[in-house]
Amino acid sequence: MGRIVGIDLGTTNSLVAYLDPRTGQPKCIPGPYGSTLCPSVVSLDPDGSVVVGEAARRRLLTQPERTIYSVKRLMGRGPADIQDELKLFPFRIDPSSKNVIRVKLGDKVFTPPEISAFILRELRNWAEAHFGETVDRAVITVPAYFNDAQRQATKDAGKITGLEVLRLVNEPTAAALAYGLHEKQRGKVAVYDLGGGTFDISILKLISTSDGDIYQVLSTNGDTHLGGDDIDNLLQAFVHEKILQHDEIDFSPHGELAQELRKALIDVKHQLSESETATLRFPMPNGKVFVHEFTRGALDALIRPVVDRTMGPVKQALADAHLNPTDMDEVVLVGGATRTPLIRRTVQEFFGRQPHIELNPDEVVALGAAAQASILDQGVKTMLLLDVTPLSLGIETYGGAVAKIIPRNSTIPASAQELYTTGVDNQTGIDIHVLQGERELAKDCRSLARFTLRVPPAPAGLPRIEVKFLIDANGILQVGAKDLRTGDQHSIEVQPSYGINDSEIERMLEESIEYAEQDFAERQVIEARTESESILAATAKALANPQSAALSAEERAKIEASVAALRESVSGNDYKLIRKRIDELNHATEHLAELLMNSAVSTALEGRKLAEV
Amino acid sequence: MSTAPKSTTQSKTIDYFAIFGLPRKLWIEMGELEQKFLQMSWKLHPDNFVNASEEERDLSLKRSSELNDAYRTLRDPVGRVEYLLGIEGVRKEGEHKQQAPPELLEEVFELNESLDELREAKTSGGDLAALKSRLESAEKNFQEKLGEVDAQLQTAAHEWDAALQADSATRKKVMAKLNELLNRRSYIKNLVANVQKELL
Repeated sequence: MGRIVGIDLGTTNSLVAYLDPRTGQPKCIPGPYGSTLCPSVVSLDPDGSVVVGEAARRRLLTQPERTIYSVKRLMGRGPADIQDELKLFPFRIDPSSKNVIRVKLGDKVFTPPEISAFILRELRNWAEAHFGETVDRAVITVPAYFNDAQRQATKDAGKITGLEVLRLVNEPTAAALAYGLHEKQRGKVAVYDLGGGTFDISILKLISTSDGDIYQVLSTNGDTHLGGDDIDNLLQAFVHEKILQHDEIDFSPHGELAQELRKALIDVKHQLSESETATLRFPMPNGKVFVHEFTRGALDALIRPVVDRTMGPVKQALADAHLNPTDMDEVVLVGGATRTPLIRRTVQEFFGRQPHIELNPDEVVALGAAAQASILDQGVKTMLLLDVTPLSLGIETYGGAVAKIIPRNSTIPASAQELYTTGVDNQTGIDIHVLQGERELAKDCRSLARFTLRVPPAPAGLPRIEVKFLIDANGILQVGAKDLRTGDQHSIEVQPSYGINDSEIERMLEESIEYAEQDFAERQVIEARTESESILAATAKALANPQSAALSAEERAKIEASVAALRESVSGNDYKLIRKRIDELNHATEHLAELLMNSAVSTALEGRKLAEV
Repeated sequence: MSTAPKSTTQSKTIDYFAIFGLPRKLWIEMGELEQKFLQMSWKLHPDNFVNASEEERDLSLKRSSELNDAYRTLRDPVGRVEYLLGIEGVRKEGEHKQQAPPELLEEVFELNESLDELREAKTSGGDLAALKSRLESAEKNFQEKLGEVDAQLQTAAHEWDAALQADSATRKKVMAKLNELLNRRSYIKNLVANVQKELL
């Protein structure tokens, strides 16, 4: 058997971690760029190979039509669900999409679990390169508020990668586990988790028993479409509007320029977490530079609606746990978006206590997943997670109403039995519609599955079929039926309302092997080439700038020689050589970058290397 | 879809009280129940059986879900009474009478009138403030009644515990009383929920 890892499959970034046997502490594994964050971006090369992570993120600017980010927003959803997302995100949905969304990358079509599988495979490669051993099993985290279809889609992504998913763990629960290991916390803990695209709040009770520590989730709530992305969207819309007013340039909200603006604004947002003011300098195609001075106060006012939207779920989770804000012994902040000072302040004021931020908010979920993975693997337990189902499970009854059979916040696994009979003589089928959600009418809840119970012909009311609905420890529904008169077990073919069936997964797994066969070195070459493309383009652009006239002849010759050397290395397959030449060119263009930095046109380049422009 | 009529026969084969080794009494010491729940979770949870045979995994899933179902049911004082009456064969699952208890008839009638007026005022734009305050005081009144029913339910629960070894006629009498109180409780709760919905 191979190694086991914990994976945080995030909206913006994904991470892989393992439990270091020497220290007994979980640790994140860095990728080829040295960072533990793998941007959740996937790009399909014209030659058919797939690029994931940092290299793909750069392609958002150069090949947006072949590149996708934030695919987590599409997991487990149908085309009708995502109309709002389409206004804000550059998803290219294939018109053939029926129950399952299909996304276009270049001329190929993929489902969201397939795209997520590319990210999982990348992380597995990172881990395998780190261990020098195969990795075949994983614990993957999901937002606590993910519904059945979203969880199933995540599990499918694991299957497509060929990974055995031992458990789906809720992100805030994983974070609590990581903090518990780190700080030996006890008592009642609130975990406020605002990620790139999802928001969760979980209320836990940490109990020490003679057997070990128990992490019992009392309640959870959230919004699977609320996160840092929404803050970026607000910023982008705000600046887009300003540019329209002042400079009368309109640009497509999803094009390259919009991506560049988004990137610049994310930098501004990050700067405002550290300082009170930050300046956006954005060079536009008409040669002008759009300049806007942001203050933290103005940013706060802009993002206040996002922060306010998190507080409804927070209050509901506390009410469901029958607790008050001041009952909490600890408050933990998770997710990159919680670096925002307004969010920290709001949470602190609400709970009346300083929140924990000791662990890196980007890494803490992956660390918890690694700890859980190790527990499951060893079978020797020092702790136990008792999690809950975030949404009530119901079945449709007369008149389109919903009868709740497993209430939200039930500890999982949880089950409910329902007895069914026939209404007319010789009726051979009973239709059952399973739903998830809190609303009273079926049309307002999430449809999970429809199926027909087969019944042998008999007088009305005589058949007695017991249907068992079970939510397993991953938060995923299983259905079984028993004929109480004969004792026969019925096998039920449950067709999920929004999902892919097993044979499709099988096919996707086969197809993914084609992609997986590129070995590590090959991918390194692709990434190095991508990087050299962008640095070569940036150098050509910079040399065309009038400021470059100030370069000495010697400097210019050195740059040109480095460019030629890099070009030559790119035609080969030695990624180490390409990287070396990239470094040399970076070095040769240092003065050029400085010159540009002093010019008005390049104000937006401040503090960055030429290659990153 | 063609709707699925639910059979009225009970099929509960698992005794939630027995899972915790408890007699079918309605008074349960919550701290003890929690301790037992945690101890048993530690043994039965599927996390312990990830590398076990499929058979063992299935059994763990079944037993741990039953444990969780049992804890969820018994922890809730009202759910506990409903469950008890269910396994004793007195109460059908999901049963709640929609008839108003006779002594509440007049107040319920008034309440429904006020609700109709409020709905009408909402569509035609009449004076909402006065109606709302009338409904708010009615809600408070019914909340108090709910408190009374809960107190009565508690008294009846003690009677049940005392009658645990008594003859079946006595036990049936207490169960009938508990059942009637549950019906009244769910009726009033429904009323309150309806008022709250309109006041939102």
